[in-house]
This record gives sequence, structure tokens and C-alpha cells, in this order.
Amino acid sequence: MGPPGKRDEDWFTRVYAADYPHVVRYGQRRLADLDAATELAQEVFVVAWRRRREVPDRSLPWLYGVARRLLANEWRARRAAPDVLPMTDAGLLREPGSSGADATVGVADLHAALATLADLDQEILRLVGWEELTVSEAAQVLGCTRTTAAVRLHRARRRLTEAMSYRAVPPAQQPVLASPRKVM
Amino acid sequence: MFGEERTRTLLGPADPARHSTIAPPRLSAHDLIVRAEAVAEPAAHHRHARPTRRLVLTAGALTAAVGAAAIVQTFGPSTPDTSGIAGPPGADPGVVLVPVAYGAGTRDAGSELRGLAGRLVDAEYDHRTGRYMYHHTKTWGDPVMTSADGRHHVAFADETKVWQAADGTGKQITTQLEPQYPDQESREYWQRNLKPKAPATPAPDDMPLPAEDLAPLPSGRAQLADLLGVRYGAGAVSKKVSTVYGRYVVPRQTRAEILRVLAEVPGFRWRGQVTDRAGRKGVAITYDDREHNAQSLLIFDPNTGELLAHERLTLSPLRISAYQVILGTAWTDRLD
Repeated sequence: MGPPGKRDEDWFTRVYAADYPHVVRYGQRRLADLDAATELAQEVFVVAWRRRREVPDRSLPWLYGVARRLLANEWRARRAAPDVLPMTDAGLLREPGSSGADATVGVADLHAALATLADLDQEILRLVGWEELTVSEAAQVLGCTRTTAAVRLHRARRRLTEAMSYRAVPPAQQPVLASPRKVM
Repeated sequence: MFGEERTRTLLGPADPARHSTIAPPRLSAHDLIVRAEAVAEPAAHHRHARPTRRLVLTAGALTAAVGAAAIVQTFGPSTPDTSGIAGPPGADPGVVLVPVAYGAGTRDAGSELRGLAGRLVDAEYDHRTGRYMYHHTKTWGDPVMTSADGRHHVAFADETKVWQAADGTGKQITTQLEPQYPDQESREYWQRNLKPKAPATPAPDDMPLPAEDLAPLPSGRAQLADLLGVRYGAGAVSKKVSTVYGRYVVPRQTRAEILRVLAEVPGFRWRGQVTDRAGRKGVAITYDDREHNAQSLLIFDPNTGELLAHERLTLSPLRISAYQVILGTAWTDRLD
């Protein structure tokens, strides 16, 4: 962490210019709405200014940690009438294969498989796979030790692979949940 | 190491932001600093610049950053003998409310509240008597009018004076003041869509109060805990404390007990010295109700322990949703 005297407006302006696009993308990967992602990013930097003496020199993981907590709060608040969907839910609403790109490279399957994982598994995969953090940095975002994060990443990747294999099985062979069906 | 590269290879093609171009931010770094400092005051060097008595009503934290007009007004506390709080003369009818500022440091409020309870001094009314309990309050946010799309809010501030005897009879005068807004976007929307009213100050609504069974305020801690709804949690308690102080003239011993009751309620955070909307120095506690995206803030007189103000905010986006400022409390025999 840098000395408090350096945490002035010039410092903040530099951090904002350098990290803002990354924080917006963080939101974009987790929300269905780009406007919500930009709003989230601005809230993150408001917090960063208020707590500027706590911001480490390598600020991005710290900023992601703030974004994660803001997002969790926001999502809990909007559960009753969500106008912003987490990306995992938004992805499930789309028809797999409706996008040409998705259909050819199996991206829709990957999204769908990701959505079946627990939140922490999803998050560490996204932090390392999309935000390109190291395990140590992801541990900082998640508030756990590096060892714990490494174990989580290993397990999450295995579960993701299993979920994708499971989805690759033809639907007829998958177990079907018994549910009441409306008689037409 | 740890399979980081394998993870990137696996997930990379599915990155929703892989090809996205991020537009420059709508707000500059300076705008964000202004916004941050409108609701918190972490840097000590800003304190000396604060007015000692103020009601900060700015034309939006963000527009303040770009030089839009800011209005700073002072409402002095009053008693029945100094009855004139005038409405804000010439006030901009489109003010945006800024949350009360407090420092970034925080700790559990319990020990501070108990300490405060132990050193209370008498309030001006503590050795007075009278037929009527008198309260002079300013409130905003009940109700709030919201646009059809749910995004824009407006409410008129009300100034109320109530004289109420033990049997409930008395008088209430309510004066509707100017509209106030929780954010700049609401101000812009409602200034376009709110039908203009007559420019003259609306006549006060003067009505006699009918008899009602006004239960005496208990003084024991257990009864107070029950009255304040401790079992329902800190959010409900905050509202109830505000109601009690807006209805009763609370004696010193009971004020101390109320603070001790609050000290035992989980969730209250100590926010230290603040300045309320009437420009008075006070000490504040807050409760963050994450489940309902709300924060309750209570401001107490640091000497007498009287409640000065109660405010409720939404946490995200951070903006005020209601406030009550108690400007005067007294015993009196006169209905004027």
C-alpha cells in the first residue's frame, strides 16, 4: 500500500483512467445490462476515493473486491423485481445456438454449464479466466487465502468440465425431473 | 501455476466482454470525488471548511461539481416563544437533498451509546412543566411521489408544529414547503412534469386535535425496549425512536434509558460527530439494512441526548428517502 500522502486527486485520476474499463467489463460479465455495469463501476470508484488509504498499489483486485460486494448487495436488493439480471440467468433465457458464434464454438454450452456451478466456483473461474487475475489476486477479491483459492479453482474447473460433459450427453439420456405438465 | 492458463483457455472464448469497447466514463474523476464527499467525509482537512450551522440543499452533488448553484440555508431550532421559522425565502424550488455527511471510521455503537447515556445533562425543558407538549418538526419523504417508470422521485417538505395535552387534545399547524428531490435526475424530470403551483406560500393547515388516549411514556428499560420494538431489529427501532421523540417530551432519565436500549440492539454503528440539516452539531449512529437496501441514521444531541434527526436512505444508489428534523421540543401552556 502506498503512503497516504500519495492518495490525492492526481493518483485517483490515474487509477480511474487505467482501471475504469476493466471494472466496467467486470460488471458486463456479470450483468445483462451495460448501463448497469457502468453504474456499478462508478460506485466502485466512489468507494475507492472514500477508502483511498486502503487501496493497494496494484489496485485492480481490490476494486474487483469492492465491485463484488456492491453487486451482491444490489442483487439482494433487486431480487423482488430484478431489472438487472446476473449474466448467468440472462444466458439461460437465451435460446442456445441462436447466435451463430455460440452455435459453432459451444459458448452457449459453456455459459449454461457455468450457470450450474455454485457462486464461488463461478466467481473464481471468471476472475482467473476472464479478469485474468492470478490465484493470489483472486484470493484477495474473494477474501480467502491463496491456498484456498487454488483449491477452489482446481475444484471449480473440474466441476465445470463435468458439467460440460454432462450437457454433451443427448437430452434423451439425461434424467428428467418429474413435474406437473399442463394437459393441452 | 495452479492451472491459471488452462482456465483462461477454457473460458476465454465465452468471455462476454471479450470484444467489447468501453466508452469513456460519463463522470470525470473529479465528479466522482465530489460525489464521494457529498456522502462521506474521510479527509480531516475538509472539516474546517464546513459551516457550523447549515442545511445543505444543493442542486445535486454532481452538478455542484460543475459549478451549478448550491443553496446553503440555516433553520434555527425554535420554541413556542420563537415561533418563526420562516420558510426559505426565495429558495430554489428544485433543491436536491444531500445525505448527512459523516466520517469514514466506524465501530459498534454500543459502548459509545452507553457512555453518552451516562453523561447526559438536562435539556432546557427538563425542569419546566406545562399543559401541552410542543414539537416543531420538519419532515420530508412521507409520502414520496414517483414517476410511472419508478425512477424519479419528489416530495414536499412539511413544517409542523404540534401542541398536545395528555388527553390528546391540542392543535397542529402544518405548512407545506418547497419540493425537494433525492437526486438530480428526479429534479430535472419533475421540474418538467410537476404542474407549477401558485407562487404564494401555501396557507398553513391549522387543525384542532381531537381527544385520544395518549399513553404515558414508560421510563423503565424493559418497557421502553418493548415500546421501541427491539424485537423487530434496528431498522424498526430507529423509526420508533423518531416517533417517540416527535410525540413526547422525553425526560433526561428516559433519554438515557433509550440510549442504553439502543446500545443493546445489534447492528448500530457509531458515526461520531455530524451536523444535522438544521446546522446543529450532533452524534450519529446508523444501521445498514442490506436486505432492504436501506440505511437508518439517528442524530442525538451530544449533551442532552435528545433526538435531533432521523433519516432513512437507500444504500445503492445512495440517496435520501425520508427525514425528520426535530427543531424544537418544550412544555407550554399556550397554543401559539
